[in-house]
Amino acid sequence: MKYMILVYGSQQDYDAMGGNPAPGKPAWSPADFAAMGEFMADFTGELAKSGELVETRGLTAPVHARRIRTRDGGPVVTDGPYAETEEVLAGYWIVECASFDRATEIASRLAQTPGPAGSPGVADTAYADVRPIAEGRDELDI
Amino acid sequence: MTGTETEDLLRQLAPQVLGAVVRRYGHFDAAEDATQEALIAAATQWPEEGIPDNPKAWLIRVAARRLTDLLRSEQARTRREYIAVLSEPPPPPAAGPADPAGPASPAGSADDSLIVLFLCCHPALTPAAQIALTLRAVGGLTTGQIARAFLVSEETMARRITRAKERVRDSGMSFAMPSGTERLSAVLHVLYLIFTEGYARTRADLADEAIRLTRMARRALPDDGEVAGLLALMLLTDARRAARTTDAGDLIPMASQDRGQWNATYIREGVALVTAALRHGPPGPYQLQAAIAALHDEAVSWADTDWPQIAALYELLLQTSADNPVIKLNHAVAVGMARGPRAGLVLLDALAADPRIAADHRLLAVRAHLLEMAGQTTLARETYLAAARQATSLPQQRYLNSRAKAISVYRDGI
Repeated sequence: MKYMILVYGSQQDYDAMGGNPAPGKPAWSPADFAAMGEFMADFTGELAKSGELVETRGLTAPVHARRIRTRDGGPVVTDGPYAETEEVLAGYWIVECASFDRATEIASRLAQTPGPAGSPGVADTAYADVRPIAEGRDELDI
Repeated sequence: MTGTETEDLLRQLAPQVLGAVVRRYGHFDAAEDATQEALIAAATQWPEEGIPDNPKAWLIRVAARRLTDLLRSEQARTRREYIAVLSEPPPPPAAGPADPAGPASPAGSADDSLIVLFLCCHPALTPAAQIALTLRAVGGLTTGQIARAFLVSEETMARRITRAKERVRDSGMSFAMPSGTERLSAVLHVLYLIFTEGYARTRADLADEAIRLTRMARRALPDDGEVAGLLALMLLTDARRAARTTDAGDLIPMASQDRGQWNATYIREGVALVTAALRHGPPGPYQLQAAIAALHDEAVSWADTDWPQIAALYELLLQTSADNPVIKLNHAVAVGMARGPRAGLVLLDALAADPRIAADHRLLAVRAHLLEMAGQTTLARETYLAAARQATSLPQQRYLNSRAKAISVYRDGI
């Protein structure tokens, strides 16, 4: 069965990773960022080895987003629809595994993600969501 | 690598980098600023550290990073909405040998530069704005260089370019080739204006830039007759550059130019281009003007020029450009040479009714010349002096006054 693991971040989080701190978001040094990258490579590598990885992507900074709505029957586009502190999708893994519990176990490993040294904020406030993927329309229970 | 080699490489890559960034992230105006900054960074770092293995990728990376920074600071202040202009779906892949890059692959860099060029010639912009934006975003010139070329302050030019970019951005255009031919004519017109600006004010850098950009357009649109025609016209006109002015900066009319100084390479290329283009069916205005220029450039002298053929080409040109007084004027010159000065003067009388050109020094200069040819020396001299009074530049004034003087001297010499 397939599950999506979702992780989130705000523009401020991206800024902090780039070295620009914000209240409650200490700046990451290049070493901090490298350590996080190594952890992620490990995490994803393990899933690839076990055959549970289907796909994984990271999304670019929230400033690069466009929102499309409709007005008077036509499309209206807004550049940069998110506020600086708004938590938006930052990346995802799609895993195929035996059960929801197994997907949860995989996601919980993300709690070990290293952050900037001496920061209270990152580990305490970060979270990941796990959601079952519908295999067909009937699974949507609608 | 010398400074100029880096500069040439950067100018060539500029629109490709801008195209790649806009294609991926949008934000034409901020992307253009970001690209400029990446180019500046490269211009300072590469001469010292050497050119990177993949210079284009380097520039795109730096520009994208810079774009993110710009958007970060912008979006704290404004949230912008616009009506999306959706591009047409791409044409179905043509039957035939498969494109090795695949139908879903991004367009080549030649196409991206062309798309940027088309964006810069957006119909919402004035010609001056189109020219400024084209020279910056496609030509890779700095704001300072463009300001000096057009004799305005750098501040003024910067504002003009910023406003132009905002209008392009606000038009909601998607990053794709606009359909229809009107946009191509706008592009060719902008390139033509850049060239004539460079040629009229003997700014070799502008004329060269126009030729370079038109070559780029031709590479992207090799089958378009008018693009070929415009390039041919530029080459055939620019071929005469060295012979056009004295060291003092005075203008030498074509009749008196040392044709040995004409650029034979440009003439060969221009003639080949226009000959090939004319084979593709009814010629457009640039092809016709190029054909006329070719006849001039191939003649061994003013007197030996094929004037009847030139007059006929002008008559063809007037069928589509009937309202252009400058073309009518040139036609009058050709007719005067082909059929005698009185025939030319008759055409000028008709043209004198057009208020746009009636008091123009060029019309007066042509009249004076035809009067001189017709033997009406007194009237010719007066007309040369009148033309000199209307002249818009010192070299023109000096030339016209010297023509008047030459007639007086001749008369006194009798």
